[in-house]
Amino acid sequence: MTKIGLEIHCQLTKLASKLFCSCKAEYRNLEPNSNICPVCAGLPGSLPMLNKKAVEKATMISLALGCNIPEKIGFFRKNYFYPDLPKNFQITQYNAYGPTSIGSDGKIEIEGKEIRIRRIQLEEDPGRLVYEGTSEKTMVTLVDYNRAGTPLVEIVTEPDFENPKQVRVFLNVLADLVENIGVSDPYLEGAMRVDGNISEGDGNRVEIKNVGSFRDVEKALHFEITRQQSLVERGITVLAETRHWDDARRITVSSRSKEEEQDYRYLPEADIPIVLIGNKSIEQIKTQMPESIVARRDRYIKKYGMPTQVADVLSSDKFYSDLFDKSHNEKNAKEVSNIITTDLMGFADTREKKLELKITPKHISDLADSILENKLTRNSGKLALQEMVKTGKVLSDVISSLDLGHVSDAGSIEKIIDEVFKEEEKAVAEAKQNPDTINYLVGKVMRKTKGKADPATTLDILRKKLSV
Amino acid sequence: MVERKEIEHLGDLVKVELKEPEKYIKQVEQILNYFDSLDKVDFHSDDILRMEVASENLRDDIHEPYGDSLIEHLKKDQNNFIRAPKMV
Amino acid sequence: MNLGISATEFASQAKEGAISVEEFVAKTLDRIKKVDEKIHAFITVDSQNVLDQAKAIDKKIKSKEKTGICFGMPLSIKDNICTVGLKTTCASKMLENFVAPYDATVVSRLKSEDAIIIGKVNLDEFAMGSTTEFSYFGPTKNPWNTEYVPGGSSGGSGASVAALECLASLGSDTGGSVRSPASFCSVVGLKPTYGLISRYGLVSYANSIEQVGPVAKTVEDVAFLLNIISGHDPHDNTTVNNGRVDYVKDLKAGISGKKIGIISQMVGDGIDKEVASATTRAILKLQDLGAECIPISLDAVDHSVAAYYTIASAEASSNLSRYDNLRYGFDFSTEGYEFKAFVSKARSNFGPEVTRRMLLGAFVLSAGYYGKYYLKAQKVRTMIKAQLDEAFRKVDYLISPTMPILPFKVGEKIDDPLKLYLTDINTVTANLSGIPAISVPFSMSSSGLPIGIQLFANSFQEKELLQAAHALQETSKLPEVPL
Repeated sequence: MTKIGLEIHCQLTKLASKLFCSCKAEYRNLEPNSNICPVCAGLPGSLPMLNKKAVEKATMISLALGCNIPEKIGFFRKNYFYPDLPKNFQITQYNAYGPTSIGSDGKIEIEGKEIRIRRIQLEEDPGRLVYEGTSEKTMVTLVDYNRAGTPLVEIVTEPDFENPKQVRVFLNVLADLVENIGVSDPYLEGAMRVDGNISEGDGNRVEIKNVGSFRDVEKALHFEITRQQSLVERGITVLAETRHWDDARRITVSSRSKEEEQDYRYLPEADIPIVLIGNKSIEQIKTQMPESIVARRDRYIKKYGMPTQVADVLSSDKFYSDLFDKSHNEKNAKEVSNIITTDLMGFADTREKKLELKITPKHISDLADSILENKLTRNSGKLALQEMVKTGKVLSDVISSLDLGHVSDAGSIEKIIDEVFKEEEKAVAEAKQNPDTINYLVGKVMRKTKGKADPATTLDILRKKLSV
Repeated sequence: MVERKEIEHLGDLVKVELKEPEKYIKQVEQILNYFDSLDKVDFHSDDILRMEVASENLRDDIHEPYGDSLIEHLKKDQNNFIRAPKMV
Repeated sequence: MNLGISATEFASQAKEGAISVEEFVAKTLDRIKKVDEKIHAFITVDSQNVLDQAKAIDKKIKSKEKTGICFGMPLSIKDNICTVGLKTTCASKMLENFVAPYDATVVSRLKSEDAIIIGKVNLDEFAMGSTTEFSYFGPTKNPWNTEYVPGGSSGGSGASVAALECLASLGSDTGGSVRSPASFCSVVGLKPTYGLISRYGLVSYANSIEQVGPVAKTVEDVAFLLNIISGHDPHDNTTVNNGRVDYVKDLKAGISGKKIGIISQMVGDGIDKEVASATTRAILKLQDLGAECIPISLDAVDHSVAAYYTIASAEASSNLSRYDNLRYGFDFSTEGYEFKAFVSKARSNFGPEVTRRMLLGAFVLSAGYYGKYYLKAQKVRTMIKAQLDEAFRKVDYLISPTMPILPFKVGEKIDDPLKLYLTDINTVTANLSGIPAISVPFSMSSSGLPIGIQLFANSFQEKELLQAAHALQETSKLPEVPL
């Protein structure tokens, strides 16, 4: 069995300032080293000043992932030398001496599968390294500290994923979640970064780092699983190691570094006192939080009687559940949820496609009403939706331009039935003998009307004419 | 006993090239032996003293650009990057 | 013009125009020129700018413009406290040319009260040491006898005040670094409660226990400086609001009716005979003033030195990691080096004591030993604090000699680090627990070397502590420095 765990680094991009100083949290597209001060550049004598809002936002993420939040949180120094670390230590959180990180022991349900969250910690992002020079000899490292000190939340899961698809779904949900609660724009370059660890059966754990983009995570995991399985098949032991994702070659490569056994010499960060997170402030943060995915799902089931599966799918997609919440009313909720989950989600399943949709809540609402009022069949509804998504035209225009108007008056339907009777004499005779075959005739009528005939009316008339 | 290998490992951890590791071995060992007296302490509490601050007293999230161009005070190249050696 | 007046005396005379600030500062520069080659208290003297600053302040005083309460008093600042425009070297090769682009909060507060920073003074490299011999720029000597150490690590602060090269100084005290030189140089030195004074701009050595502390000729001067530099700082998370206590007011309240505990562990065996007898005399004097003195046992003190050096080394090894010569530091090109080799090479320029403590710090924090050393040292802190809390339920103050020994000769203990560490036995308790402690000059040994007495009070009781220190100060008349 494959076991996959994740470490997700998520920048709190919605903050104005860095985690420990008043420099800008948004570091992208700035001149090198123009967004630095003595604190984030690690000058002697500078002291970190913890950002209140960063603690609040990290608390929100912890709450949204069902974590326990301790009464007191503490910061530690993780000591190692690297040029992107201006102090040669990173201020982070650590749990070995009592739980002091902002969240622990959480869980989130994804498509019926429970993923446990081990720990959530608030920490600073390092600076950025740029490599210059072509040959190994001339290579230098250029450092830009604009990013140093950007507030980062690290989310560590238990190894609860069984396959890369679950990971993808989880990451999509997580991305939606952090966007939903207003702590991060996960689609900004570098805002959400994922490391994974994988083991097969009782085999050793392999860490996968350096996966540049969100989308490559699934690919990297797939590659690594195949690699490990083929080793196992050949009777070769999988080494416990760290492997880097090689973006160009689309494979994982052993990082052959002797740093495996890093001794980080964790040390309490005395410059930041223990922060008391009162129950009062947690309650206050809760009131600022948008509805959680779980709460939303439960509401869909309870209030609208949505089937669990539909509620699951809808609630875990921020874009579509928002659309649902804006489109529906008491009467058409179920129809709206059907339109979104069976048709619309099929048209647009990626972020890019979602952004291209020209659909508004009114489109959906009108469509559902028309179907419920028998002005449009579900079939025609799907065609209308497709057109609205592409053009953004209002429903009535789409119905007339595509001639999708519902045929529900008995006279018109009878005329068409007469035509069908002429063409399908054999089937008519059969239907008279065996009423179960009547659906064949319904289908014929539908085809002739391009799906516009009202199925119930059609059936009524057919039955009358056939006297069955 | 502190050995040469151990001193060199510590030197590697704190990134100091030790010109005369031998010199440090005896002194570090002597001091650590003294620190061993901590083993004899009979503790009645596992608590650790740390200052506390209420979360509402933390810094407000306000962007204030640093008044001076800090990079001008640092070692930098013509493009305002800090140059580090190759990482290998 | 008498350079030996106190800082507060200077301020009141300058305010009334009885002293020309320019003249006083010029005389002070002359004094530095004359005596500093013997004692080497200064790393940097700002002879360029201070006369202009003095002139400007004279002008303000004359024209009755609003003038800061320091009225141009020349102060020296320990060279691990950042000052714009003046190098902050930490007495290290690693920062030999470093000029901070900002003032430490304590410095900017002094400047805004029209103090003149006459120069930066010597210390043990990064404040690690108790003799000021571990300076990259060479040792500072004791003004009372230049063959002797001035104490440390703020030896430059103690010596510059004692030698009348400035009116007062700011040092820093991590394990006694203000009180040791105060005692050895016969001046007053205060280690305030942790959190009373901003550390913003103080270059960190052991950041969970250190504080900036004033060094001055009199207790009044210390109270005066404390009024300016204490209190909450928005740049330091660990500072507290002290409610704008006026430490100068009621300074002469006396100690009649107060209870003083004599710390048994600090007056027993192993302390110098002359120091012991001076301590006894001090206690008798305080009793004469109406205080009641009783013995108090704090057995956790026996573990304080081991706990202190464990914690201080651990924090030092982390605090000093940033000195990798990439962003600032001495000239050393990265060309031809791989990262680790470059950093290790650059950092081999730390002196032996700093290197020793970084190695020790890495050891006590490393995965296998954390529980054995660091965690236990932290628990000793808790234990000391608990015993002090208990003691302060019985007494108002605690008393001990500041140093268990007399000043010793330069070079005498430099090769025996452990022996040197053990001389901190009386001072580290205040740092580990966070409480304030002050060293008051009290006596001279038969060989003419100073002996200081240390008083402690409970956290944030500086006002009461200074009242007791003032009472003690008034009991003795000490000679002038023979320099």
